[in-house]
Amino acid sequence: MKIKYNTEIISGLVFIIVAAVLWLLIPSQIQTLEKSAINAQTIPRIAIGGLFLCSAGLLIQGLLSHDKKEIVITRESFHSEGFRREMRSVIFALMLIAYCFLITLLGFIISTIILVIAILLFYGARKWYYYAIPLAMVGVVYYVFGVLLRISLP
Amino acid sequence: MELFLQGLQILLQWQNFLIIPVGLALGIVVGAIPGLTSDLGIILCIPLTYGMEPTMAILMLLAIYCGGTYGGSITAILINTPGTSANAATLFDGYPMAKKGQAYKALSMALFASTIGGLLSAFALLFLAPQIAKITLLFGPAEYLALAVFGLSVIAGVSNKSVLKGLIGACIGIFMSTIGMDNISGTTRFTFGNINLMSGIDLIIALIGLFAISEIMMKSQYNPRLDRQKVDVASLTKDKITRDEYRRCRKPIALGSLIGIIIGATPGTGGGLAAFISYNQTKQSSKHPETFGQGEIEGIAASESANNGACGATMIPMLTLGVPGDGATAILMGAFMIHGMVPGPMLFKDQGNILFAIMLGLIVVNVFMYVIGSVFTRFYAHITRIPYEILACIVLTFCIAGSYSTNNRLYDIYIILIFGIISYFLRRMDFQLVPILLGIVLGPLAEDNFRRAIVLSDGSLSIFVTRPISLLFLVIAVGSIVLFAWRNHKAKVRSAQANS
Repeated sequence: MKIKYNTEIISGLVFIIVAAVLWLLIPSQIQTLEKSAINAQTIPRIAIGGLFLCSAGLLIQGLLSHDKKEIVITRESFHSEGFRREMRSVIFALMLIAYCFLITLLGFIISTIILVIAILLFYGARKWYYYAIPLAMVGVVYYVFGVLLRISLP
Repeated sequence: MELFLQGLQILLQWQNFLIIPVGLALGIVVGAIPGLTSDLGIILCIPLTYGMEPTMAILMLLAIYCGGTYGGSITAILINTPGTSANAATLFDGYPMAKKGQAYKALSMALFASTIGGLLSAFALLFLAPQIAKITLLFGPAEYLALAVFGLSVIAGVSNKSVLKGLIGACIGIFMSTIGMDNISGTTRFTFGNINLMSGIDLIIALIGLFAISEIMMKSQYNPRLDRQKVDVASLTKDKITRDEYRRCRKPIALGSLIGIIIGATPGTGGGLAAFISYNQTKQSSKHPETFGQGEIEGIAASESANNGACGATMIPMLTLGVPGDGATAILMGAFMIHGMVPGPMLFKDQGNILFAIMLGLIVVNVFMYVIGSVFTRFYAHITRIPYEILACIVLTFCIAGSYSTNNRLYDIYIILIFGIISYFLRRMDFQLVPILLGIVLGPLAEDNFRRAIVLSDGSLSIFVTRPISLLFLVIAVGSIVLFAWRNHKAKVRSAQANS
């Protein structure tokens, strides 16, 4: 499959959809009792309307532009270096999302230690002090916030 | 004159000279940690000042305030994450300079510009406070809206490649700033029934997510074996600011300090807005605007002189009128009251000697800041030697703890991580993050004052052009957008001619 694209087309399309959904949500999400023309809905409408119009402009700009990348999706594409690099970002994002769940269950210290070890493994760190320094910092942060600043971390 | 001399006598007590460096050191550390602000530093240290003399207590808190505003530039330059919102404009050129191996030079300029801005602001507080306060008293909702529009005009300057992407960013930022309870009607907006969203998205949380987490995400494709850069330790602190660079930065620092003083003295604005406007004006008046954003030392000078220039000036409306200029001065106002001083017109009459001691002390605070900063800048520059894997883990730990401490809730940690992932997508799509930040910062100021002005004018929009100060700001805003558009057009024509 052959696809021609540029960042203007992708971001323009994404934000047109986002703006359209948000516009439709305004009546249910902003239930104002104000009767004046300028009310709690005005600025969100201006911002979302502006987002829609600018995104449409960006999409048109992208479609008319000659500067487009062309990719051909085949089975080999999934084994390419570019695809592997993109997957690293996806894995990193998944680690952060998993952390959100872990911190609720295990608290700050244990979940952050797991996250730190996961990040270091992700980068392929082998030296012992690469692990020791960040892990010690987790303890220091917990002490500074909890004891000195009296902010009890979860 | 008698009060001035009495104030000088109070200031010259040795205890004051001992407490100022302590406050500055605390402020710099707090300011440099993303998520912790000088506001929090002041709050935490107020109980420590209960047993102190009023002058000593206020000077310590002022040192935290000034140190915190400067400290935020350290992380902005070194790890592309402003410690406080006031330093957001510093990362435009600070981080590119650090990437080019000029971290020491960038840090030195940030310190120098902060000190000069802070000193000029302290002198303005000492000699011009009542006059400046009178001018800012003329500001009504129409003027504030015009000021916000003027601030938003910065978008034209920071979206060189695509103005449409800049505008999309600003719309996203303004939309985000409307989430939560509406200040005027009390209506909830886009909270989806979630109680955590009722108070909206905290600025510092947005800042951490937008810049720190997205930066870590951007480096997720970093390969330690291939991408690690060898840093020459000896050259790290050798690259000092040249005489020519000092000469070039004179104008940006003077302009930045002046903008900082005027914006800082205007209640409800703050150092962040001053830094953006100063950066924009410096870029516009520069003979080489194309170098801005690529690691231009004048950019750091402009933004850092403005945010520290606002520090002393935010005290002007507080001391003369009893109106705090920003969040930190609102807390400082509480500290004044705790120590038996009620800010307002009567303060100069009742406790003028202590007030002069404090205003003179602010000059000393800035001098000490330069001395302490000069000593430690050498050490900060070495942060660039830390292997990225270790630095990423440490920064992430601080960001998580810092964001949690803002409101003591887990929800803010989720927000920074979600913001980080969204900003990563935006950066991959060649979007600038600064327009989003500008929208978040200026959105509430613009909305609240727009609606108030419309109520005052019975629904007529003419209020924005019939009031002279408002009209002046709007004209400057439109003028700067037109100038940027013209320059961009000329640059495009030139590059098209060069290509053909």
